[in-house]
Amino acid sequence: MCLTDTLDEMVQNGTLTPDLAIQVLVQFDKSMTEALETQVKSKVSIKGHLHTYRFCDNVWTFILQNALFKSEECQETVGRVKIVACDSKLLSQ
Amino acid sequence: MATSSTTTTSSVYIRVIEDVISKVREEFVNGPGENVLTELQGLWEVKMMQAGVVFGIDRSSSASKQPTPGITPVHDLNVPYEGTDEYETPTAEILFPPTPLQTPIQTPLPGSTPLPGSTPLPGSTPLPGNTPLPGTADSSIYNIPTGSSDYPTPGSDSGGNTDVKGGNGRPSPYMPPPPSPWMNQRPPLSVDVNVAYVEGRDEADRGTSHQPLTQDFFTMSSGKRKRDDFPPQYQNGGLNNIPQQDGAGDATSEVSQKSDFPGMKIPQLDGPIPEPYDDELSTPNIYNYQGVVSEDYNIVNTPAPNDLQASTPAVAQNDVLEDDEDEPLNENDDDDFDDMEQGDELNTQHLVLAQFDKVTRTKSRWKCTLKDGIMRINNKDILFNKATGEFDF
Repeated sequence: MCLTDTLDEMVQNGTLTPDLAIQVLVQFDKSMTEALETQVKSKVSIKGHLHTYRFCDNVWTFILQNALFKSEECQETVGRVKIVACDSKLLSQ
Repeated sequence: MATSSTTTTSSVYIRVIEDVISKVREEFVNGPGENVLTELQGLWEVKMMQAGVVFGIDRSSSASKQPTPGITPVHDLNVPYEGTDEYETPTAEILFPPTPLQTPIQTPLPGSTPLPGSTPLPGSTPLPGNTPLPGTADSSIYNIPTGSSDYPTPGSDSGGNTDVKGGNGRPSPYMPPPPSPWMNQRPPLSVDVNVAYVEGRDEADRGTSHQPLTQDFFTMSSGKRKRDDFPPQYQNGGLNNIPQQDGAGDATSEVSQKSDFPGMKIPQLDGPIPEPYDDELSTPNIYNYQGVVSEDYNIVNTPAPNDLQASTPAVAQNDVLEDDEDEPLNENDDDDFDDMEQGDELNTQHLVLAQFDKVTRTKSRWKCTLKDGIMRINNKDILFNKATGEFDF
């Protein structure tokens, strides 16, 4: 979000071309994915009441109620949370 | 605990930023220039810090977290931002207080709306209410007194507004007596206010102006549902109320006749006026008291043309609404959906983005394994390499 806001701003200012902004975004996706794969090792467990589930265009969307998130370091509870997950196999291709 | 996770998250973000910047540098050097890239990085980092997901940034070393001073300023940044968020909510609240202040005004509007009788009439268009309307001259006269009547009410009683909203009883008392006295006294008193209203009304047909007002009012209060419900209510009420509506229609026509038949007028006037009030009152009442008993309504209405009617009908309408709500499933569903959607929008505060490895379901028990995800929960960003979810549907 921060990056897209920044890019939007700069594109609207004319300091950045849309093409270049897209390239930055693409690079961000790659870098972020890589960072998640290489730098993040934490494991999280999620429990909750599944209010809505949806599988469309290979994207799963879950809406949980009273969800409990547990990781090694912290534990969070949320009244409502949306989980959006795309297919890992498609991304790797 | 949380700090460690957030700091690691922050460091990951910082590394990602640096990675992205370094990898697109070539493009920038060949294009707009490296200073643009620097600007991009600066803006991005500032926004990340403002979002509270990245703390102090050392460009020299991504690994080293942040100097204490760096953290402090970051927190400062965060605080104001949170403050703004909080402010927004309060702002709305603040706005609301003014609303109540305005409420008197609004109240009069609705009140005026009802008073005109025309408002309910238009709403009741299908109902007998229209019948009375036909007399234009009558209606014009009728409107003026109406507007005046509303104002006098608040003016006469300090708590007039409150009364109008909550207390059905007061308006009703006003209603019955006013007929003769109102005509004379009220117009002068409320003239200014009335003028404004009158103007609006004059320009557009009363019904038109009133309807928009009514709609706004409804919207303000809750949802479309009520608006929709009203017609049914009228219809339902119409079955029960038939006498009342007739009274109203007669009243409007009779209003003009007032001079001719004082005795006749009183009951008639009561009938029509209360209805408008009921509509208005019912709206607020509905919100406040949906559970009120409806049975009273019929009983009261039948016997009581005068004061009680206003209050009673309101209650009755509430009850009717409840009945209506049960009947029209679609409306209820819509409201639920709206709530859901709103909830979803709010949920963007708590969002998990990830890739799924697999999702399985056994009866109502769902299990999924996610990987490489980002969670934004309780204003904290948490990254995970793997996640398992167990949900019951």
